[in-house]
Amino acid sequence: MSATTTFEEDNITPARRRDPLLVVLWVALVTVAAIWVAPFVFITFTAMKSNSDVMTTSAFSPPTDIAWENFSGAWKKGNFSNTFLNSVIITAVKVPLGLLISAMAAYALARIRLRWGRFLLVFVLFGAMIPFQVMLAPLFTLVNSLGLIDTYIGVILPYLAFGVPYQVFILHGFFRAVPKELSEAALIDGASHFTVFRRIFLPISLPVLAALLILDFVATWNEFAMALVLLQNKNMWTLPLGLMSFQGQFSNSYGQLNAAIVMTVLPAVIVYLIFQRYFVSGLTSGAVKG
Amino acid sequence: MATVQVRDLKKSYGAAEVIHGVSMDISHGEFVILVGPSGCGKSTLLRMIAGLEDISGGTVSIGDRVVNALSPKERNIAMVFQNYALYPQMTVAQNLGFSLEISSVPKATIRQKVADAAEILGLTSLLDRKPSQLSGGQRQRVAMGRAIVRDPDVFLFDEPLSNLDAKLRVRMRAEIKALHQRLGTTVVYVTHDQVEAMTMADRIVVLRAGSIEQVGAPLDLYDEPANMFVAGFLGSPSMNFLKGELVPGSAARMQLESGETLALAARPEGVVSDVVLGLRPQDMAIDPERGTPAKVMVVEPTGSDTHVLAMIGDTEIACVLDGRPGIAAGEMVPLSFASDKVHFFDPKTEARLTTTGLSRAGAGPA
Repeated sequence: MSATTTFEEDNITPARRRDPLLVVLWVALVTVAAIWVAPFVFITFTAMKSNSDVMTTSAFSPPTDIAWENFSGAWKKGNFSNTFLNSVIITAVKVPLGLLISAMAAYALARIRLRWGRFLLVFVLFGAMIPFQVMLAPLFTLVNSLGLIDTYIGVILPYLAFGVPYQVFILHGFFRAVPKELSEAALIDGASHFTVFRRIFLPISLPVLAALLILDFVATWNEFAMALVLLQNKNMWTLPLGLMSFQGQFSNSYGQLNAAIVMTVLPAVIVYLIFQRYFVSGLTSGAVKG
Repeated sequence: MATVQVRDLKKSYGAAEVIHGVSMDISHGEFVILVGPSGCGKSTLLRMIAGLEDISGGTVSIGDRVVNALSPKERNIAMVFQNYALYPQMTVAQNLGFSLEISSVPKATIRQKVADAAEILGLTSLLDRKPSQLSGGQRQRVAMGRAIVRDPDVFLFDEPLSNLDAKLRVRMRAEIKALHQRLGTTVVYVTHDQVEAMTMADRIVVLRAGSIEQVGAPLDLYDEPANMFVAGFLGSPSMNFLKGELVPGSAARMQLESGETLALAARPEGVVSDVVLGLRPQDMAIDPERGTPAKVMVVEPTGSDTHVLAMIGDTEIACVLDGRPGIAAGEMVPLSFASDKVHFFDPKTEARLTTTGLSRAGAGPA
């Protein structure tokens, strides 16, 4: 009888036992997540509290009465309708256009035989290695000499120039890994390179494009230094510049300041939530023997 | 008439020439297989015909057009790749109809042609599936369907069965052959598998290191290989090669390097001394009367016959024996060979020597 019991216990134990390493990893993950989430909780809660509540309650205690007026007040005082529109226009033009240019360049470099292809790739990638801070002064001189200071295009063009190299680097790597038979089969089927790009490569690179879109959206939406230099006119300012100005003027209105921060961050969060579902691997599975 | 003519075709990567002036003619409706070991240039040759590789020298003609400067789509060819190369985001029907769609063929015609191709290949129930939902054999059939709908002048196959398991390969072999008989289109097919070449081809082109070794019907190549390379490449297991010296005199006798003497029913024409004797494993048998003693090393029963690896002196000999001879590793068995089916090769040039039959029959040790 006892032998049987022991046997059963032995049989069950491995399933019940937790791998200690796994437990440590989980604890570490939860700790890191808590550290990351804390500022968001703090900002969101504060944005919904009146100034007196902010002073009297703990930073992490949820608001009792939600002060929605913080949002409308900050929106009006900070002239956010204007800066928001500027940010939307610049981001809506720059992000898709940049991705399209990068994807086409990456396709050409990865799939079309070019005499100077390798050199061109290195040349483009070289752009990703230059810190843009070094370029700020010459960039201002260049944009100024073109008469594009305080224009959308004067910001969008430098954004494109600094965004494209990194995206080309990522997409080139991805396109290179696509089996060459896939594009060859399409070429034999009668497709032009543009058709191969549009009908074959773009659909299978959706996960990568979604990832790049999120990264680029956040980077463009939050970009500060270049916009500060290239946009002198207050009416042309983007959200981060508007937020800076608001912070300077209303640093004591904690509720409104945090409401402004929430409104600035919110579009990036929404874009992330929309496109993160495309982060699915295995879209190319079944294309070739795998 | 979709003939394919290759004239003095060359391919170089920088200074390295990998195809050295290959010429061949493929007639309309012919099933030609390019075969050779890895790196012999067979796939490169096919890709040059397809227009996927630049031509460094010579010409490729399809029909009566020289196609050197034409892009792949202008050559009216279809190609099936080893890894299928199906478009992963499209359904089977979209994969099949893609080429017609981008040629702006009316939708009704596309539907009809796709349905016809699916019918031929037994894909009708799978038309709405994505490639990832298909098995290896089904994917290969879709790849062939994609080629069929285009109604091309020439089908090009680049090792299409290499990714399939052994059983499926045998079935697909028969399907491709049946498809060719049904459509009657010219086929150029690349493989490294000599069994595929022997069983499917009208003609085989054996390639080695970028040059053609021999061209001919499968059985002609098997029976009369031009040299030791072709003799060793075609046939499974490979032909046995025994180095030795012909004993002077009218009767044909050969002394092997290991010391044994064999009596032969044929000898090479002319005055030769050093030769390489070629024996097909299938032409060997156990013969207690005239057999040479050989030590059995490995026995591999396949059910229908038995593959045996044995040693005559220091020379390794592969044999395929009928049935189940009931021998085990370590035993000594008397091996003989059908002496009228021997081949002689020049040990220096490796070329096959013409043989003359001798009146005296019989074979085995003298």
